[in-house]
Amino acid sequence: MADQGGSQHGIARTSRVRTEEQKKRDLERIKKYRELEDQVRSHVSRGDYSPSVFQLTSKLLRLNPEYYTIWNTIGWVIMLDGVLEYFSYRHYNTIFHQLLVIVVGHDPARPRVPDSWEECAPDASGVRKDNNIEAATAAAAAAEQQDLSTIKTELNFTIPLLLESPKCYWIWSYRLWILQQAIQRLRSPLARQIWEEELGLASKMLGKDRRNFHAWGYRRHVVAQLESATLQGSSMVEAEFAYTERMINTDLSNFSAWHSRSKLIPRLLEERGADDAARRAFLDEELNKIREALNVGPEDQSLWYYHQFLVLNLVYPDKHPAMTRGLTTQDRVAYLRREVDEIKDLLEDYTDVKLIYEGLFEYTLYLCQLEGRQPDTGERADLVAWLGKLKRLDPMRNGRWADLERELGLKEGGGEE
Amino acid sequence: MPQNFDQLPEELQLATSAHVKYVQSLDTRKDEYDYWLTEHLRLNGLYWGLTSLHLLGRPDALPRAETIDFVLSCQHDSGGFGAAPGHDAHMLSTVSAVQILAMVDAFDELETRGKGKAQVGKYIASLQNPQTGTFAGDEWGEEDTRFLYGAFNALSLLGLLHLVDVEKAINHIAACANFDGGYGVSPGAESHAGQIFTCVAALTIAGRQDLVDKGRLGRWLSERQIAGGGLNGRPEKKEDVCYSWWVLSSLEMIGKTHWIDKDQLIAFILRCQDPERGGISDRPGDMVDVWHTVFGLAGLSLLQYPGLQPVDEVYCMPKSTTARVLGR
Ligand SMILES: [Zn+2]
Repeated sequence: MADQGGSQHGIARTSRVRTEEQKKRDLERIKKYRELEDQVRSHVSRGDYSPSVFQLTSKLLRLNPEYYTIWNTIGWVIMLDGVLEYFSYRHYNTIFHQLLVIVVGHDPARPRVPDSWEECAPDASGVRKDNNIEAATAAAAAAEQQDLSTIKTELNFTIPLLLESPKCYWIWSYRLWILQQAIQRLRSPLARQIWEEELGLASKMLGKDRRNFHAWGYRRHVVAQLESATLQGSSMVEAEFAYTERMINTDLSNFSAWHSRSKLIPRLLEERGADDAARRAFLDEELNKIREALNVGPEDQSLWYYHQFLVLNLVYPDKHPAMTRGLTTQDRVAYLRREVDEIKDLLEDYTDVKLIYEGLFEYTLYLCQLEGRQPDTGERADLVAWLGKLKRLDPMRNGRWADLERELGLKEGGGEE
Repeated sequence: MPQNFDQLPEELQLATSAHVKYVQSLDTRKDEYDYWLTEHLRLNGLYWGLTSLHLLGRPDALPRAETIDFVLSCQHDSGGFGAAPGHDAHMLSTVSAVQILAMVDAFDELETRGKGKAQVGKYIASLQNPQTGTFAGDEWGEEDTRFLYGAFNALSLLGLLHLVDVEKAINHIAACANFDGGYGVSPGAESHAGQIFTCVAALTIAGRQDLVDKGRLGRWLSERQIAGGGLNGRPEKKEDVCYSWWVLSSLEMIGKTHWIDKDQLIAFILRCQDPERGGISDRPGDMVDVWHTVFGLAGLSLLQYPGLQPVDEVYCMPKSTTARVLGR
């Protein structure tokens, strides 16, 4: 199972011996912590989800944000009707807000954690204006304006927190909840504007950590919302494709961006209404692009993975028809032959890069597969030579090279199988 | 690798007794603040610790009766288990509870003193999304293929896999597959070693390895080993003992463990141990924890390091346990 809280990543080992002073301090903290925990539990066991429990759970979460049962308690508080009546929407919002501050508020460099519940109340904060959308006298437009400003304030507030803790599940979850409020409370052009800005945030996060797969997943989610009828959306596949282009131009080694590109292509061509010729031209462009990249960085796995993706399109057109529709087998053989030749040219500049030999080996076998034949004598000699290079350059994977050698009957000195 | 432990050079010696002591000490640290802050992981921690001890050949190093009492004290009427008494039920702690009870051979006590196997199965089955076949971690609904694997793991140990829609779950896994042979966290997401483990293990439990592109996946997995011998979780990322396990166990499931350099991986894991105070860390010189300890030991066991009990690559438990429970 992927990462768990409680496990240590990247924290330097120290002697685990504590001083008497530290021991004493630990015992005091434990006493406080457990007393607080007992209080929360005694309320919950009585079925008491009153506002005072909020304060206790907030305190407890300030000490231990990973305490999932306490988050659940808060979920219960919010779901119970009585409480929703008690709190206005704005208060309800603020509770989430305060909890959020608490969760991420351990670091002195971060915004200061409020000391009391009152400090978080809308009136005291100064920034947050009272939002009394129920007021019958307020004009609808004014109410919407106010909602908009509240939503924007909340969203802006979390940005520095997210930049600091990009993997904190609760911040993302809070943001999504606010964004959902935008859909429910604002006319769709306004809600749409909010979600469009959210896409900007996803870009900002990915600018900071280009391989963060949580952020890539979040981006896919935001795009899906923006494309939905609820937000009067339409396809964004062109824009997203252009985004992968920008990410790749910034950093050729960003496999996450290449991956995203591979997933967008079928839809992109479909929506362009591309005919066979246009699809072929598209394939040519992709191949040119990745070839140019390989010329500069033949040691980069990310590039080879994308090249493999394109080659697989040629070898298995039934599975990947988007770029290869209308290509005859001869066409595909010609394409593949050209790739093999281009990679052979790389050997002039790079003699010790194992990925080049691996590519040549794999694609030569595909060529034979496409033509429904065994390797000829020249190819066989090449395969043997490349495998020898692979064994020498990449002994870590000798087991794999030995399997290939055996399966293909390439043992030096051995004849045809 | 010699079969006899004593013949190994010092840097390749496993600090067995230090590791046993380390795991035993984990529950005696009640005067440390962190002990209380990690209570939400107590049952998972017990599973990681107990598995470590079983693999080290010291299954009795934690008292059996107290272990069972503690596990049963975490169970709710719903059948699910919380991380500790007073904590809400969650898929991950429920899976750990089932695995612990399997290891100490105490399913009968689950019947007589707990809520019974059937109720546990019902709880897990209730977390499946009937439309998509995926599983949530608890009633609050976060979905991830980790939970799908957890459900298959525990239900198969209980002999109750028929309680869920296996086919729908399998279709969901198939939708997470990528051109490189790997699997992502959801359809459309890039391949990731942790997700590959959960998807391939779930497919193995369901008897559907035919859906795995073994050659291509094996190649992707073998390329995770980098200079220094450790394995990373995605291309161009750093190596880590826990990722080494996800990759290695997946390779084992598809019969391609020999596609990496085993001796270099053994040496990497051993460089991550704290030979004096016990425990294993993510990378050499970092703080140890029970999570990296169990995955380090499980990795060494799969690599047939001398003196360790054989580990089951699908369940991350001793093979002797899965053989007994699954009758194979
Ligand atoms: Zn790790």
